[in-house]
Amino acid sequence: MKKGDKIVLMTVLALLVVSFLSVIIYRISYKGKALNAKIIQNQKVLVEVDLEKIDEPKEWMVKGEEGHYNIIRVEKGRIRFIEANCPDLVCVHTGWLSQPGDIAVCMPHNVLVKIEGEKEELDEISY
Amino acid sequence: MNKTKKMFFLSLLVGMAVVIHIIEGQIPVLFPGVKLGLANIISLFALLVLGWKEALVIVVLRTIISSIYGGGFSVFLFSIVGGLLSNIVMIILYKFFKDGISISSISVCGAIFHNIGQLFVAAVYIQDFKIYIYLPVLLISGVITGFFVGVSVKFLCYHFKDMFAKERRRDDL
Repeated sequence: MKKGDKIVLMTVLALLVVSFLSVIIYRISYKGKALNAKIIQNQKVLVEVDLEKIDEPKEWMVKGEEGHYNIIRVEKGRIRFIEANCPDLVCVHTGWLSQPGDIAVCMPHNVLVKIEGEKEELDEISY
Repeated sequence: MNKTKKMFFLSLLVGMAVVIHIIEGQIPVLFPGVKLGLANIISLFALLVLGWKEALVIVVLRTIISSIYGGGFSVFLFSIVGGLLSNIVMIILYKFFKDGISISSISVCGAIFHNIGQLFVAAVYIQDFKIYIYLPVLLISGVITGFFVGVSVKFLCYHFKDMFAKERRRDDL
């Protein structure tokens, strides 16, 4: 192992530890808050639901330009993309979101689903 | 190597990179967004045997051609920023710290910066930096795939060494 390899290894390890810690802190800061899911398309909130108040499973179809669509399914306490016609299907493979702070994104269609804590007005101020 | 030969070799490499890029998109992976980064083999190989300008040419052409085949403008933006960032990092590491660093480490750094760049584009695009919660998973995958890519490039260079030695001898004559 050369000297540069050791430096790279240390930097990567440090980066890993920092990123893991920040994710843990992020999870803790969201813990115990309400499961408030948002479906956002082109930076606009389309749907906002409280996942704990959902009794019947529900599905939404988010339509975009040029026939793009994503189908999002909601059950009690969880939400996910179930179908889309984007090329990479990262959004569908992300699976169920059930923790506050979880996020699933469909980059090609600019649609994202995220679970936030309480309904807060803070978002508009911080961004 | 004369100009025509170089151009021919370069276009072969671009073709291979596009094919690898398209095929690896079909390979299922454990986590969403994780990619094997096999096309990086070609970029790193080009950087080692041809030079940094050729490596950049290959990554730009590869991104343009493969986003014509699949994906649209957002996918193009997504992969060109990641690809360029990772290539620039690898070029800097190779040019200035060549003697103190192994090929695998260079490729691991490239993979990590590829992921950081892609997450950055995604975060700007959706205007939400919370997407960085994917960073730990992508870092780990970057280290593993980057190491694998580095080993592959080492093998590739080893087998191509004879070819380039012959080529140089022919040029000298």
